[in-house]
Amino acid sequence: MATQETRQLDSIISSRRTMLALGGAAIAGLAFAPKAEAQAAVTDNDILNFALNLEYLEAQFYSLAVSGVTIDKLMTPIPTSVNGGTGGTVTLKPSFAPVPFKMPTIASYAAETTIEEGKHVKFLQGALGTAAVSMPNIDLYNSFNALASGAGIGPAFDPFASDATFLIGAYIFEDVGVTAYHGAAGLISDKTKILPAAVGIHAVEAYHAGLVRTSINALDAGTGALNGLTQKISAFRAKLANPSGTPIDDVGITTTSVALNGSSSNYPATTIVNADSNTIGFSRSTTQILAIVTGGSSSNQGVFFPSGLNGTIK
Amino acid sequence: MEKINNVIKKAVSRRSFLAGAGTAAAASFIAGCSDSSPSTPTPPVTPPGTTITDADILNFALNLEYLEAEFYLRAATGNGLSSTDAGSSAGSVTGGTQVNFSSTALAQYANEIAQDELNHVRFLRSAITSAGATPVSRPAIDFTNAFSALAIAAGVVSAGGTFNPFSSTNAFLIGAFVFEDVGVTAYSGAAPLISDKKILSAAAGIQAVEAYHAAEIRTLLVGLAAASNDQTYVDYANKVSALRGTLGGGNETTLSVNSIVAADTTNAIGFARSTDQVLHIVYAAGAGVQTKGGFFPAGLNGKITATAS
Repeated sequence: MATQETRQLDSIISSRRTMLALGGAAIAGLAFAPKAEAQAAVTDNDILNFALNLEYLEAQFYSLAVSGVTIDKLMTPIPTSVNGGTGGTVTLKPSFAPVPFKMPTIASYAAETTIEEGKHVKFLQGALGTAAVSMPNIDLYNSFNALASGAGIGPAFDPFASDATFLIGAYIFEDVGVTAYHGAAGLISDKTKILPAAVGIHAVEAYHAGLVRTSINALDAGTGALNGLTQKISAFRAKLANPSGTPIDDVGITTTSVALNGSSSNYPATTIVNADSNTIGFSRSTTQILAIVTGGSSSNQGVFFPSGLNGTIK
Repeated sequence: MEKINNVIKKAVSRRSFLAGAGTAAAASFIAGCSDSSPSTPTPPVTPPGTTITDADILNFALNLEYLEAEFYLRAATGNGLSSTDAGSSAGSVTGGTQVNFSSTALAQYANEIAQDELNHVRFLRSAITSAGATPVSRPAIDFTNAFSALAIAAGVVSAGGTFNPFSSTNAFLIGAFVFEDVGVTAYSGAAPLISDKKILSAAAGIQAVEAYHAAEIRTLLVGLAAASNDQTYVDYANKVSALRGTLGGGNETTLSVNSIVAADTTNAIGFARSTDQVLHIVYAAGAGVQTKGGFFPAGLNGKITATAS
């Protein structure tokens, strides 16, 4: 029964999809749209819940890598079921065990990141209050295998196998977190409380990404073994985010040549920073982020989120 | 009417930001994060003629990018910005020589950051022009006296001593450490105050890059210390951090192998600084009205150049 109400809902959903696809620019235009349409805009809570899904993913990855348990089983547990919802499950390989870290520095970085991503989950749950969503189903086993296959790395990839594979696993998430918060910043209405918080978390994700990329480059030690993997992952992320092939919004770790203050590119330089030709960090729309974390699934269900995300933006 | 109210609200929030209330607003959010009602006390009415535009904020950032670009370019090549990049009435730069890096990898990190900061100078000059304003020229910059004074104030060297960040790889990393986290907090503080969506996105994009850089420098300091089993330069970095905290309203995290990220310990949210707090750090000057000093012996160029208190 296509009542007026369902037609309005369709229109709301459609305009929201368009807006998400277009990113921030559409929001400005929306301010001049009729009131009914303006109410269709994603709310700050929708955006924070979108971020919360991503933080659940990151927090579970690091918690399992370091301590072998999910975040709700930590000594100071972080709830995954909130506001009457039921938290999803985390799929792991058979006989899962945490990363057998051999390098104390990498183990320390992993522990630090676990704590910080856990704090992001708790912060977002607190900021959302009764609006916070529970954790969706998360897959940390088939997901990495599917990504490895898609990226041309091989049929399987286990990020929990060693210091090096753990860093590559972290690499998969951190730059995506940076671009997600960057894109979200332009959608946030509350510029006095929520935007500063989102901008602050954006910085922390970039710190993590810088830490991970510097560590990978150091461990690679000029062999190209690990840096080569990052290039494949970056290329695949760019393809998922931009199915047409352009722009290429992701840069793996490599050695390039720069001109500096001269006129010819004579200086070898690393690419620790993931940024465009003006050295401005990349930004992605929620649609693009969904494509990456669900492996380009048309239903936005797959890879890391086999049942999709929770909340409005999914 | 609603539009006018929004303009007033924005002007007021900009003014409180410039006076140093930016972090207070963030802190109040952290304390009571589900409270969505406006609870900020009524700030003073903005006097005419003090409106801060997006271009003013970009010019403020441009001054800081000149500083970073000069530092890294000199470390990487021995020379600074070209006259084209520095603007038509550029101030002079004192100090800065090519660093004899201890490894190819470290030289390549420095080359990357030098190119990044140069790109930021070029991008901001172009963005300011596109916004219908004029990019400021490079202000006078001092590396020689500023680093020594800062190192003495931080307790890295004793009174009368000198500190030259261009003298070795480790010293260079300390010099870089002085700037990068400040850059992150400056962009974090400025981003919410920007009106134009495109400019906000660019500022957020540069903020991310500064955080990549900051993490890179912090990871290298900790990694080199672990490899040589010598914490000397990590200790120096933390002395610098403590001094920045004193001058710039706290907003610092002790660096260690267990703590690379600079963020608040409760929520792991990156710090934000007001322009006042940033100026106190780069002028190396404590409380009071400050218009110059430290790395900028003649002050910044543009509209945001003096601390309010």
